Amino acid sequence: MQHPTSETFDRNAREALEDVQLRGALRNLATTFGERRKLAILTVEDWEGLRERARASKDETLAHLDKYLKAFAENAERAGAQIHWASDGAEACRVVLDLIRERGATRVVKSKSMATEEIHLNAALEAEGLAPVETDLGEWIIQLAHETPSHIVVPAIHKSKRQIAELFAEKVGVPPTDDVAVLTGAARRILRQSFAEAEVGISGVNFGVAETGTILILENEGNARLTTSLPRTHIAVMGIEKVIPRLEDLDMFLKLLPRSGTGQQLTAYQSLITGTKRRAEDEGPEELHIVLMDNGRSRMLAHPVTRQSLACIRCGACLNACPVYQQVGGHAYGSVYPGPIGAVITPQLSGLRTNAQLPYASSLCGACREVCPVKIDIPELLLHLRAEVTEGTAAGTADQRGPVKSRPLERLAFKLYARAWASPTLYLWGARVARVLQRLVVRDGRIGRVGGLMAKLAPPLAAWTEWRDAPPLAPRTFREQWREEHKG
Amino acid sequence: MFASIREHLAASAPHDAVRAAHHAAAAHGKDVSAREEKSAAVVFEGTAVERFRQALEAVAGHCSVVRGEAAAADALRRIILERGARRIAVSDSPLARRIATLAEANSGEESELIDDAGAAELFDCDLGVTGAQWGVAETGTLVLESDAERHRLASLVPSAHVAVIEARSVRQTLGEVLRALGSGGAERLSRTVTFITGPSRTSDIELTLAIGVHGPAALYVIIIEGEGGTDGG
Repeated sequence: MQHPTSETFDRNAREALEDVQLRGALRNLATTFGERRKLAILTVEDWEGLRERARASKDETLAHLDKYLKAFAENAERAGAQIHWASDGAEACRVVLDLIRERGATRVVKSKSMATEEIHLNAALEAEGLAPVETDLGEWIIQLAHETPSHIVVPAIHKSKRQIAELFAEKVGVPPTDDVAVLTGAARRILRQSFAEAEVGISGVNFGVAETGTILILENEGNARLTTSLPRTHIAVMGIEKVIPRLEDLDMFLKLLPRSGTGQQLTAYQSLITGTKRRAEDEGPEELHIVLMDNGRSRMLAHPVTRQSLACIRCGACLNACPVYQQVGGHAYGSVYPGPIGAVITPQLSGLRTNAQLPYASSLCGACREVCPVKIDIPELLLHLRAEVTEGTAAGTADQRGPVKSRPLERLAFKLYARAWASPTLYLWGARVARVLQRLVVRDGRIGRVGGLMAKLAPPLAAWTEWRDAPPLAPRTFREQWREEHKG
Repeated sequence: MFASIREHLAASAPHDAVRAAHHAAAAHGKDVSAREEKSAAVVFEGTAVERFRQALEAVAGHCSVVRGEAAAADALRRIILERGARRIAVSDSPLARRIATLAEANSGEESELIDDAGAAELFDCDLGVTGAQWGVAETGTLVLESDAERHRLASLVPSAHVAVIEARSVRQTLGEVLRALGSGGAERLSRTVTFITGPSRTSDIELTLAIGVHGPAALYVIIIEGEGGTDGG
C-alpha cells in the first residue's frame, strides 16, 4: 500500500483537507483530549513546577547519558536481564530476529511500541516469514488494514467505527455492527488465542530506571501485561533516551504523562519489571532481553537545541494541540512520528534532506510548547531546523552535506529586505515605487489572486495570494503622514 | 555506543556552557527545589480509605469497605453470586486465600476455588482473587509485588478481578509508595510490581470508551478495616 511520504507534505495536507470523515475524527480528538487534559492538570497543585522539574531531570540525564545508561544496563543485568546494544534500526531488527530464531520460536505477540514502528520491526520480521501479532486494539486495527499509525497514542484515530467494523468483517469474520463494545469484545476474543499460544512477547519501554535497572510499561488495555507475562521470552525495545535516574522520579513522570496525553490521572496499568523472576517457579518469562537502541539519538546530543527533543516522553499532547495536526492528521506527515514532535525528530533521525518540508509544517503558534509536559521548545527547534534547511549548518542532523534547499533567490530577497529596512531613505523610496507598481495588481481595494504575467514575475506574491487576499500598501507611509500633519 | 554519546556531548560543551550561564542568570532568585513540596496533589479532606474509594469509583472500579475478614468474605460471596462465577482462581496471598475459602464455602456447589492456577487454567476462570501490598488513595491504585504474591496472571486473565487489601496498607500518594518500593535498594525491589487503577479500557475506536479489553472488565476492591489479617498477606 502506498504510504504518503514526508517529501510531499504539502500535497498530503491538501488531500487530507478534502477528507471530511478524517477531519471530523480529528476535531473530536482535539476537543476530547484537550478538555480532559485541562481538567486533569487542575488536580496537580503546581503543574508548572512539575514540568520544570521533569525537564530539569531530563536535561541532567541527557547531559550524562552514558553514565545513566551504563548504570541502567548493569542493574538490569544484575537482576537477570540480557542487554543488547543496537546502534541503528537495522541492527535492532537483526538482534530481535536472531533472538527469535535462536529459540526456534514462531509465535510472536507485540504490545504497542513507537520505537518498533520507527525501525519497521514488523516488516523485518515478516520478511523472514514470521507473523508478529499486534495486540493493542488500535495497532491491531491498523495491522489488519496494512496501514501505519496516525497518532502516537491512538494509532487508529483516523478510522471511523464503520470502517473498523467493515475491516473486522472482511479480515476476521466479525458480523458488522455499530456497537463499540461488541467490536472490542471480538478483538479480545480473537487476540486471546494469540496470547495463549505466544512464545515471544515484544514490547516497548516508557521509562528505564537507572538506579534499579527497571523498565516501566504504561497501558490501559492489559495487552502489554499479557505480552510481558505469558510468553517464555520477553524482548523489550528501548530508545536510549528513555532512561531516568531514580525509581522515585517515576512519580513526576507518571503525574505528567497520562494527564498530558489522554487526560487521565493514571492509565489502568503500569508494569515495573526488573530483570527476570527470582525463582523458577515464579510467574513470568524465563528470559528478558532489553534492546537499547540509538538510531540517531546520540547524534542529537551534539547540540543543546536539538538535544531537548530527546526529553520527549511520547505523550502525544503536542499532536492534540497542534492546529496543523488537527486539520490534516498524522498520515500527511509521511513519517512514523507525526505532529509537532514528529516534525522535529524525524529530520533528526532520518535526515533533513528527505524530510525538508516537515519543519515548515507549522505556523509556529507555540501551542505544542504550552502543552509539552517536559517543556520542549518545539518552535525553537523548528526554526533551528529551518535554518539548517536553508543554510546547511547541519549540526545534529543526519546530513552533513550542506544546505538542503539553497534557494538563492530567497536569500537575495531577504538581503534586500534587510538592507531596505535598515535605511530610512531606501525604505521611503521603496514604498513609493511599490505604491505605483501595485496598481498592476490591486482590484477593488484588495490584491486578490495574482495570476498570469505578474505571477511569473513575482512568484512569492502568486503563492501568497493563491489562498488569501493581500492588503494593498497605504497611500502614505506613517512618516509621510506625520510630516504632512505636523508641518509648520 | 558510549563513545558516540560522549563524542556528541563533548561537541556541545561550548554551547552548554553558554546556556548554563544564561539559565543561571535567569534563575537567580527562583528556587526550583522549594516547588517540590507544592507539586503534591491537592489536599483531600477525609481518610485515605475514603479518598481511595472515591478515586477508584471515578474510574469505574467497585469498592467496598468492611470490618473484619468475615465481612470481607460476605462481600466476596456477593460478587461471586452477582457474577455467577463458577471457577475462581485465588493467588497465594494468605489473606486472599482465607477470605476466598470462607466466601466459596458458603456460595453453594456451583463455584469452585482453584489454587495455583496455571496460565491455561486461568483462561477458563471467571474471577481472580488476589491481595494487594499497597493502595494509593489519590488515584485509587492497587500496588502488587511479585515477591509478596503471585499476582500477575490471576489479576489479569480472568474477566473479573477482586483484590482484598487491609486499610492500613493504603497510602495517600504514589510518591510515598514509590519511595517505599525503592527504599531497600535494587536488590530488595520485587522483580515485577504492578499498578492497577480500575478495569481494563480503551478508546481506540472513535475515542469511545470501552471497558474490558484484554484485562479484566471488572475490578472490585475490598478494603478491610480493623482487626483483619494477621501477617500482612
